[in-house]
Parts: sequence; C-alpha cells; structure tokens
Amino acid sequence: MNFDHIDVVQSLIDGVLFGSVYALLGLGFTLIFGAMHKLNMAYAASSIAGAYVGLATITIFAVPTVLAFVVGPLAAGVVGLLIYISCFQFMPRNNLLAPLMASIGALFFIDEVIIDQTAGSPITFPVLLPDAYFPVGEYGFRGDLLFIAFASFILMGVIVFMLYRTKMGLATRAASQQPVASLLCGIPTHRTNSTVFILAGVLGGFAGCLAAAAVGVLSPLLTLPLTVKGLIVTVIGGLGSIRGAIVAGFMIGALENLFLLFRGVNERDIYVFLVLFLFLVVRPNGLFGTSIDRD
Amino acid sequence: MEYYLGISQTIGVHTLLGLSAYVLLLTGQLSLAQVGFFAIGSYVSGILTVIFGWHVLPALFVGALVAGVFAFLVGFPALRVKGLMLVVATIAFSEIVRLVFFNLNWRVEVNGLEVGPDSTQGFREIRYFAANGWEQAHVVLLIWLIVILVMVMLWWLDKVRAGAVLRAVGEDELAAQSSGINLTMVKVAAMTGGGVIAGIAGGLYAHSTTYVDHHTFSILLATFAVSYPILGGLKNVLGTLMAVIFIQGFIIEGLRFMGDYRNILFGLLIIVAMNFRPQGLVDGNFTSDVRKLLRMKQNGAGADA
Repeated sequence: MNFDHIDVVQSLIDGVLFGSVYALLGLGFTLIFGAMHKLNMAYAASSIAGAYVGLATITIFAVPTVLAFVVGPLAAGVVGLLIYISCFQFMPRNNLLAPLMASIGALFFIDEVIIDQTAGSPITFPVLLPDAYFPVGEYGFRGDLLFIAFASFILMGVIVFMLYRTKMGLATRAASQQPVASLLCGIPTHRTNSTVFILAGVLGGFAGCLAAAAVGVLSPLLTLPLTVKGLIVTVIGGLGSIRGAIVAGFMIGALENLFLLFRGVNERDIYVFLVLFLFLVVRPNGLFGTSIDRD
Repeated sequence: MEYYLGISQTIGVHTLLGLSAYVLLLTGQLSLAQVGFFAIGSYVSGILTVIFGWHVLPALFVGALVAGVFAFLVGFPALRVKGLMLVVATIAFSEIVRLVFFNLNWRVEVNGLEVGPDSTQGFREIRYFAANGWEQAHVVLLIWLIVILVMVMLWWLDKVRAGAVLRAVGEDELAAQSSGINLTMVKVAAMTGGGVIAGIAGGLYAHSTTYVDHHTFSILLATFAVSYPILGGLKNVLGTLMAVIFIQGFIIEGLRFMGDYRNILFGLLIIVAMNFRPQGLVDGNFTSDVRKLLRMKQNGAGADA
C-alpha cells in the first residue's frame, strides 16, 4: 500500500474537522470535572439521548432539520440536570467512587432506555447540507464538517466567555476552587453545579446531533465510543483544562483519521487508545494539566 | 437441574470477576480493566487446550499467569495516575484487548478440523470438557472449588499484615505513605492479584460456555465486575458473593419474565444503591449497627429479668 500526500492531507482535514465533536465532548467532561472534581460517565449518553429527542421531534412533527439542533441540546441539558440530581447532588463531597459508579449506572440506564425505545436498530439522521463541498486546489472541505467545526468554535467561545466574563462563571470557578469557602461567601454551590451540568449537557447535546449528522445514523452503539473518546480527550488535554480539551479534541480527530487511513477501521481505535497510554507514560498530567489536579 | 447448574456456573464465574475487582477496590482504586484480564485469560487458556491440546488445569494456570503479567505491565503506567484517570486508562486497556481479539485470526487444523480464534466470528471450539467426558456437575464443582479457594485466600489476606496494608492505602494514601508504605508497589501488587483472579475466571468462562467472542468482553461486563464489590460493600468477601447472587440470581434469572427491562433495572439499581448507601450495602456502619442491635436486645432482656 502506498499513499500520496494528498490522501494524507485530506484525511487530516476531515479528521480535524470531525475532531470538533470530540473537542465539544471533552470540553463538557472537563467543565463538569472542573466544577466538581468528579467524572460524569453518563455525559456522552446524555448527549446521544438529546440527539434522539431532536431526531424524534423533527420526525414526529415534520419540522425543518435545523430544529433538531435546538431541541436536541435543550433535551440533553434537561438530562444533564437529572443526572446531577440523581447521581451527584446527594453524594458525600469527598466520596469519589459513589458518584462515579452511579453515573455509570445512569449511562447504562440511558443506553438501555434508548435500545428499548428503538428496538436497538440504528435510525438515519438527515444529512446536513448534502450538496455543499468546497474544493480548494487538490483538497476538499465537506460542507457539513465545516459547519460542525464552525458551530463548535462559536459554542466554545460562548462557554469560555461565560466562565471568565460573567458573574455566574466567577461563582462557578469559586465553587470549583474552594467549595466550602464559596458556600460561606453565599454562593449557592448546588445551583452553580447544576448550571454547569445543564450547560455541559447543552454542549453535549449539540455535539451528539453534530456527530449523528456527520455519521448519518443515530444508534445506541455510538454511546460507548463517544464516552471513551471524550474521556481520552479530557485526559490527554489535562483534566480540568479547557484549552487542553479543545486542542486534544482536534488532535484525536486527526490521529483517528490517519490511523483509519493507514490501518483500517478494525484496528483504528487500538492505536487511538495506545496514544492515551503513551500520554500516561510520558505526560501523565496531559498537555496543559497542572500536577496538583491529578485525581 | 441443568438450568440450576448453569446458573451456578454463571454465579461462580461472576463471583471470581467481582473478587478480582474487590482486591483493587481495597486500595481505593476503581478499575474497569478486569474484563481485559478476563478476556486474556479466556483466550490464552482456550488456545492452549484447543490448539495445543493441553489439559485444562495447566491451561487455566497459564492463562491466569499471562493475565497477571499483563496486569503487572498495565499497572505501572495506569497507577501513576489515580482515581478518576485510572478509570479512563483501564477502560482504554479493556477496549484495546477487546479490539486485539476482534482482529486475532489464528486458524489451525487439529485432527482434521479447523479450529482457533476466527477474528470477528469469535473463538468457537473450546470443547475440552465435553470432549473429555466431564459432566456439567464436574465443571460446576471445579468452578466452585476455585471460587472457595480464592475466597478463603482473600479472607486470610484480611487477617494478615498485607490486607491491613491494602486497606490502609484505600483509607488514606497520605497517611499510608507517611508510615512507610510504598504506594505504587501495593497498588501494582493488588492489580496483579486481581488480574490473576480475573484470568482464572476468564479461562473457566471460556471452557464452560465453549464459545467466546469480542461482544462478551464489553464495558458492560467490566461494570458488572466492579458493581458487585461496590454494591456488596468492601467489609468482607461475602458481600461480593451476596451481590452476585442478588444480581445474577435474582435480577437476571429471577426476573426473566421482565425481559429487556432487567438491564434498565440494573442501571437504576446502581443509582439508587449509591444514593442511599455510598459505602456499599454492607459497610462498616451496617455491621456495627447489627452488633449494637444485638447488644441492645441482650441488655433489654437483662433489664426485664
């Protein structure tokens, strides 16, 4: 087998553009981790659940496809809030395993409800911008992937703005750094935490819809790969680091597509996971992580 | 009778899987790599009996050993990070193992039949027990002998210094480290021990079902493995056994009429149990409460008399 540079560059372009989905998911995982220092394993499942609700809305009410990208994220936000209430709100603050385990339970709960409702079979998701394709010289940009990347950038900008330029963001960061002290200062930590879960949920719902639109089908089989890839992006970027999650998301998207080109679809994920182990050995704190935030 | 023997096989294998996660949970680490070690154990021992014509016992032993070696190797990079990052690393490991076996194609002709792992088709011809005249009751006996052996060993471990060291690391890493315990050593040892137990469980599973493929080794199974000791509590090994009997015997088999709703119920059960008993169903408070209750009854009886 030999590949010319055009194949390689083209698959890099597609990979980076699709990587924005991973960047969004990683950003969501990181937001939740940053706020509570706990992992929400059901996060990608809530994203897929949101995408399903969006898809159901446009199929049942026969409304334009664009509305799926409004209803889906909102539904995912609601699911995110429910996950916060059921798995995180009432747990002891210093017990890390119990909420983790509970959110794994929630992951399977959401997954099984989806399988039960759809009889486990994948459903076609309407293709976004089917005719848009922008050739640039020897390379080309898929219109839907460009839209995905563009939308992700806007969302990331909004999130960073909210975290660093608004009062709510200030409260969130305070609650993240010193939960007890911020409670004493009158910051309602439960409310800031649930806001973070809703925000992350909306982000994830959008990512879920984008992923489904790019792949073309929506299936419960998407949940676990997205969970694992999102977690890998979070770890490689450095737990709790926002720019790390974004950079790592694009990086994993690009690497994944390169492995797909060189090794085929069956072996692709092996190499993606090996990249994670490489990072654990060489840089256990991730790209931008600090050594204090290691657990 | 066949039916009950089948269930007791499943319960036995799952108890071993739960105990392998239990060892690592004692040190406070949650690992979803157990299913990876389980897969290694089942494929290695299966290949040894099917392709190389070994007896099943040495094959199980070697399978467990190989799984232990992998646990040891994975332990070092994975345990450099702790807690939540370990979960991510171990998920990735299990998925790597699953995908490697998904791609493994090693067909060999043995006695005129083509046997061996057939990548996506799975590994079908692990018929050692049937080919050598073992009855199902014998298989159940072998599985439970090993289960009891492992349980007794872990019980004994809790009575000696090594068990205290494991629990010390689990309770407070900083305190354990400052009393001269080498954290990495302890965790890697626990990981290796867990890997060996999961490897035996995998070998037993492969030989008792005669068929494994990559679907068997999903993250769902890894979740089952950690949920037994967490639901049962880390107070002692019996908690794990009770949780396995409850989940496999009652929820999976007893509620068979509910069909696919059982899986939904499993997720809900974990959420509810974690909210009400974050330390597991049988935690330290529970046992001391029972003791207090017994003492109060005795005292009450004494006051009346």
